[in-house]
Amino acid sequence: VPDRRTDTELLLASRDEPDAFTELYRRHAEDLLRYFARRTLDPETAAELTAETFAEAFASRQTYTDKGVNGVAWIYGIARHRLGRFFRHGRVDASARRRIGMPERELPPEDYERIEDLIDFAPIREALSEALETLSPDQRDAMKLRVIDELAYPEVADRLGCSEANARQRVSRGLRKVALMLQERGMQLTTEVEA
Amino acid sequence: MNTDIRFLQRLEDDLTEAAAREATLLEGSGSSSGSDDRSRRLPRRERHWGAIAAGLVAFLVLAGSIGFLTQRPGQQERATSGTFSEVGTAVGGSGAEVPAAQASTAPVPGTVTDARGDAFGPTSGGGAGAVQPQLAPPDASGVRHEAADTAAGAVNQSDLPATQQQDLSKIIRDGRISIVVPDGDFETSLTNVSRIATSLGGFVLTSTTQNQNTGTFTLRIPAKKFDVAMERLRAIGEVKADAVTGQDVTAEFIDQTARLQILLDRRDLLQSLQNEATTSQEILRLAGLIEQTQLEIEKTQGQLRYLKDQVAEATIKVELRERHAPQEEPEPTTEGPSLSRAIRLAWQGFLRVVGAVIVGLGYLVPIAAIGLAIWGIVTLVRRRRRAAS
Repeated sequence: VPDRRTDTELLLASRDEPDAFTELYRRHAEDLLRYFARRTLDPETAAELTAETFAEAFASRQTYTDKGVNGVAWIYGIARHRLGRFFRHGRVDASARRRIGMPERELPPEDYERIEDLIDFAPIREALSEALETLSPDQRDAMKLRVIDELAYPEVADRLGCSEANARQRVSRGLRKVALMLQERGMQLTTEVEA
Repeated sequence: MNTDIRFLQRLEDDLTEAAAREATLLEGSGSSSGSDDRSRRLPRRERHWGAIAAGLVAFLVLAGSIGFLTQRPGQQERATSGTFSEVGTAVGGSGAEVPAAQASTAPVPGTVTDARGDAFGPTSGGGAGAVQPQLAPPDASGVRHEAADTAAGAVNQSDLPATQQQDLSKIIRDGRISIVVPDGDFETSLTNVSRIATSLGGFVLTSTTQNQNTGTFTLRIPAKKFDVAMERLRAIGEVKADAVTGQDVTAEFIDQTARLQILLDRRDLLQSLQNEATTSQEILRLAGLIEQTQLEIEKTQGQLRYLKDQVAEATIKVELRERHAPQEEPEPTTEGPSLSRAIRLAWQGFLRVVGAVIVGLGYLVPIAAIGLAIWGIVTLVRRRRRAAS
């Protein structure tokens, strides 16, 4: 039976009925992951930030008051804050997850491509090719094959003569570095506006 | 959830578990306390600022308390009165400094002779040289009887037993005490004060009273009974202030004694010279000198007597007041002056608090700086380690 309550109602209800928060998560988790993926260009970081944002929202759901701000907008507020911290420090901490006793999970190998599918690389391809020049040769080659030639990971690994996991890691690290660099230069990575 | 991203599915499971844990916690504590808890909590950011403000206030209050503690006037007063009595006992009791004072001021036989030579020299020209040897014996005996009751110690310190050496220290003691007695007790307390004086062999030197509820008295008490007198006065009522001072006049006493001895020597010498003088001119001149010396002897004796009196009897000034007696002139109770007084008091209080906080900050700031430096180093090391990993 689908829950008919609005996001705001769910968030308010979750104070005394924590299960209501899970429903909120189900509705918005993928959108938030995409939001992070498009900004960080890195599946690992995007996943971490998603987990951390929901953990923090859950931990501080008592402080949410309905002042006409949509419940989801409140969560995106936390997301923006987390993203800003990531760009400043270059890492994601697990403080909110620790606070509510949630484990830190590794990103499963098959998720890398699925999350990358959420990122629309087309608008940033040009900026990327410039940024690529600053990476290490290993990372640059992996990124070129994956992002510009749009090859699948087994093929990337094949061309580089390394394992698939290694190829994923090189691309992931390279993307993170590029994203941080683009952010430093004040370049807008995405143009669309979220809910 | 219709997603094929496994990470998100796992995250959902983790969140569901966290929600379940929270739900059991809420049930355990009861629903009412849950809602109470919510209303009590402030938004996170406000809590954050609240914590900073509370920390700052606590820091300043701590600084202020430290400032007040270190500036407390009572402490300093106690310390000074402590040194007062210490000085008194140290000098009076052991007399450790007395021999040193005597060494510098007491005339050793050699100096006495020299002085006599000087006194004699200008008065009796060349003929005096022949007279001098004869004069020495009577001079020594003349000294002996005079010095015996004034300050025997000054003549020859080493001959005296230890007990007498202690008596040589001469200290003038002064006491000041301000006593508050219950309303209506002024009359009785006044009698008590004079009884304390007379019972200890002293007396009330001066006494002034006002409105039958305030009064000032000067008591003279034998030095040996000074401490007893102060103690008994303290017992009369509530002591508002009390101070004891001691003035060591040992050196001055010895100086005057030595001077007296020299003057006596000189007088005797002049008298014997006069007896042997042959010309009337010489006799007249010597008579003038004798008279002059006699005058100085009397002056010195008077000073010595005054010192002895001061040492023998201590002075205690007593201020006696009923609890609700008006203190000096009462403040006018009109609106204007009282308002300005209030403002003045407020300003004084403000300055006192600010002063205390500043003093306290002097103590706290270095501590805080050290703490901050340690915290900074720890954070830096942690960050480096994290960046390295």
